[in-house]
Amino acid sequence: MTTGLDQREDGELIEIILDAARRGDVTTMARTAAEVSEMTRNWATHIPWDDFATLDGADDELAQVVADLEEMWEPAYLRKPVDPDEEYALDKNAYDFYRPAGRNLLTRTEDYYGWVLARRRTETWQYSRVLEAAPGSIAEITNDLGRRTRGINFNSQDYLSFNTHPAIRAAAERAMRDYGPHSAGSPMVLGNTRISDELERALGDLVGLEHVTLFPTGWAAGFGVVVGLVRQEDHILIDRLAHSCLQQGARAATRNVVRYEHLNVESVRQHLVDIRSRDTRNGVLVVTDGLFSVDADWPDLVSLQQVCREYDATLLVDVAHDLGSMGPGGTGVLGLQGLLGSVDIVMGAFSKTFCSNGGFVASNSPALKQYIKMFGGSHFFSNALSPVQTAVVLEAARIIRSPEGDELRGRLFAAIDALRDELTTRGLTCMGEPSPIVPLLIGNEKLARVANRLLFDRGVLAFMVEFPVTPTGSSRFRLQVQAGHRPEEAREAARIIEGAIADSRAYLSSAFGSAAK
Amino acid sequence: MYDAIVIGARCSGASTAMLLARRGHRVLVVDRSSFPSDVISTHFLWPHGMSYLNRWGLLEQVLAVTPAQTEIDVVNEGIRLTGSVPAELLRAYFRDLHGDDSGVVRTYASIRRSVLDQILVQAAAKAGAEVRTNCTVRGLIVEDGHVVGIRGRTSDGQLIEERARIVVGADGRNSFVARTLGLPKFDERPRCTFAYWSYYSGFSLETAQLHRRGRLACAVVPTNFEQNMVLVWGPSEWSREFRADVPGNYQRALDFVSPELGELVRAQGTREERIYGTLDQAAFLRPLHGPGWVLVGDAESFKDQCTAIGMTHAFRDAELASAALDRWLSGGAPIDETMAWYEGRRRGQDAAAYYDYVCTLAEMRPYRHDELQLFVALRGNQQEIDRFIATHADVAPVSEFFQASNLFLLNDAAKETSAGYPIFEDFAATSRMYQQNPFA
Repeated sequence: MTTGLDQREDGELIEIILDAARRGDVTTMARTAAEVSEMTRNWATHIPWDDFATLDGADDELAQVVADLEEMWEPAYLRKPVDPDEEYALDKNAYDFYRPAGRNLLTRTEDYYGWVLARRRTETWQYSRVLEAAPGSIAEITNDLGRRTRGINFNSQDYLSFNTHPAIRAAAERAMRDYGPHSAGSPMVLGNTRISDELERALGDLVGLEHVTLFPTGWAAGFGVVVGLVRQEDHILIDRLAHSCLQQGARAATRNVVRYEHLNVESVRQHLVDIRSRDTRNGVLVVTDGLFSVDADWPDLVSLQQVCREYDATLLVDVAHDLGSMGPGGTGVLGLQGLLGSVDIVMGAFSKTFCSNGGFVASNSPALKQYIKMFGGSHFFSNALSPVQTAVVLEAARIIRSPEGDELRGRLFAAIDALRDELTTRGLTCMGEPSPIVPLLIGNEKLARVANRLLFDRGVLAFMVEFPVTPTGSSRFRLQVQAGHRPEEAREAARIIEGAIADSRAYLSSAFGSAAK
Repeated sequence: MYDAIVIGARCSGASTAMLLARRGHRVLVVDRSSFPSDVISTHFLWPHGMSYLNRWGLLEQVLAVTPAQTEIDVVNEGIRLTGSVPAELLRAYFRDLHGDDSGVVRTYASIRRSVLDQILVQAAAKAGAEVRTNCTVRGLIVEDGHVVGIRGRTSDGQLIEERARIVVGADGRNSFVARTLGLPKFDERPRCTFAYWSYYSGFSLETAQLHRRGRLACAVVPTNFEQNMVLVWGPSEWSREFRADVPGNYQRALDFVSPELGELVRAQGTREERIYGTLDQAAFLRPLHGPGWVLVGDAESFKDQCTAIGMTHAFRDAELASAALDRWLSGGAPIDETMAWYEGRRRGQDAAAYYDYVCTLAEMRPYRHDELQLFVALRGNQQEIDRFIATHADVAPVSEFFQASNLFLLNDAAKETSAGYPIFEDFAATSRMYQQNPFA
């Protein structure tokens, strides 16, 4: 081993060698190279340390040595100028701004805003686009720089294309005429109408649970039911990927929250064993989505409900994305698994299939219904669903259960199958199971943001999801299919998307693929 | 005619040669050095790196001459996190990547390359690989666009020519194989660190110390010969000014990042070697494989030294690549299929997320307010500290720690506040001060 306290440091030696090389003084180069540490000589195997003396000053070998040594000894980034805006926009994540510094709540949001502006200037900001007309299978939109485009639309949540359905529009007009646009109060006071009761019954029929409570949004339903039921000393086991309204409800309700591995029923059982070995007095709420909204998969609810019963835990399932759009008669994942009427608590949202804001909570218990009406703050202390919204959802529920509903779901799944098939054939990765959500895995955020920028001008509207919706490094396009999409439209979109991803990968000169492992 | 020729007999090369030879393949491994031999390296093995040695039956030999610890201290702006990588996460890592979780150990160690590389070379020879040291490869034999062998020169000037079914490039960042084949670099991240280090006797530490303040960092880690590696690093754009007075700035950086460690080194330490340095640290990927060749270790993916992961990743590559090559050489599957399997494990989402994590750290920007608050929130939450350390070391996926619901929960579970840490007092002014080059 070399030990030489008196030896000069490599940097100093390399500068002498570089200087000599530029003069063509190979003798000095060779003499100095002998003193360079064994470490550096074995690292820089491309430098002919032992052969300096034989280098010909006229030959480009010497120029190569100079270039290689400079590359080793000058900061590399100085050689490659970058657009600072684009670097800033592509490098960061929203979580970088989660805990801003300073005591002034107004001014400390400015760092984050600077990043938003950089993302906007570089057209990599996927949020806050606006529609110019009703969003069908094709939509016309404007981005937040005011640039307009038109494309095959996988960016809207209207799985059965009810937004343009004549019966739905007629129901809205009727309610407008009969009740006006405003509900004028909390459902606990005088915000509900006769059709609100009808809607509760229709939803109860659909999920097989008798007692239904309406909420002004799906988010309010999820948040409301969790904080309505769970107290400080109770426990919540929640799937890591469950919807934000449930995660935030859990945080607000108790500190005893365990985020279990996605879909893992065995892990739920182990956590329940653990909780029950310490605590036999308090409640446990187990929370999961039916169809997961960015992964397009679902849990084994039969086992999950059974495990909950074994340990006296209560199961809450969010069916926002699957109810109405899939399963026998539109009964969603519950229907697929033969669980109608036998899950403890079911919540859902109207905004995906039922063509309106709003949400609901259903169970077989009249007591539970009255309790969450009182203690789920988002029910009591919000204005009720408007009469128009109520009428639209009621009509949607009717169509969903009719033969027409089956036909619409048939068309929806023809488009889903075409899209997934074309994407997969082209070597891309569709996550999850065939469902109205087709998550196309990208992975790296930079790649996703650049692909998103290209797609805007190529005639496909797709929503790119990244942190905090997905974990860091697993961004994706969430393609939401509608019954109104023709299969050939879906295939055309897949071709365009593949081209945009390939071009983005070339633009970033990236070798990373998108596979999970 | 060999089954495989491996160019480079250090962490990735000797290991690949050893593993292939153990499966009964005819392997030649060549290196321009003779061993023991030193090379620029952080020479740190995280617990999964140590676990590979254990899986291969080499750990005892290393531990006989090398100190190893389980707990590590990570101190950012005075916020100390002490923890270790959990066995459960290590087992999950090996199951996911290699399909079996045997041989997991939780210790880490700093092993001089003059010690480790020789153990690996001897193990390769013992396994039946033919090892030729002092042998410099001067060319690749290419026929019909297919690499079929090497031309080289031994130390006594004798020219050699050897052929094999596959040539493995395990020849480091400045890979001869890559340069000769003209392979492009992908995902280049030119922002990186400069690092200077040396070896000190005279004191001993219970655990490795990783400290960070502003745009500078230092590590003091017990290593062989009853010495400690003392390493300082910072953004490469400050390297020129640092170089103006290497010994002075080395101590200055140490004092700035951790006055206690600076004092320990000054008062009790005896420097045993010259000070070494490098800023040849810009990250990149190369194509993994092609007709007749495959790359492993730094040759296929180089990252900045700041997470000291290179040797551990070299071992990982050795196990992955040798498994893939064995399957092909034994007639189990076509090479395209087994190389696609290797590529799938090396170019997937988790690998990309960790690559980004290291490259971002290597820019050495002052920690943001939210990052420091996260470190405070972690204090007292041992399970999550351990998971953070496992994430930093690429045992657990970045995506599982840096996930919204997890970060919210960490906040909610916080036991400490930022009150005790001076960095939070005038954060904006301190951050501005940190942008100034202290060596200018």
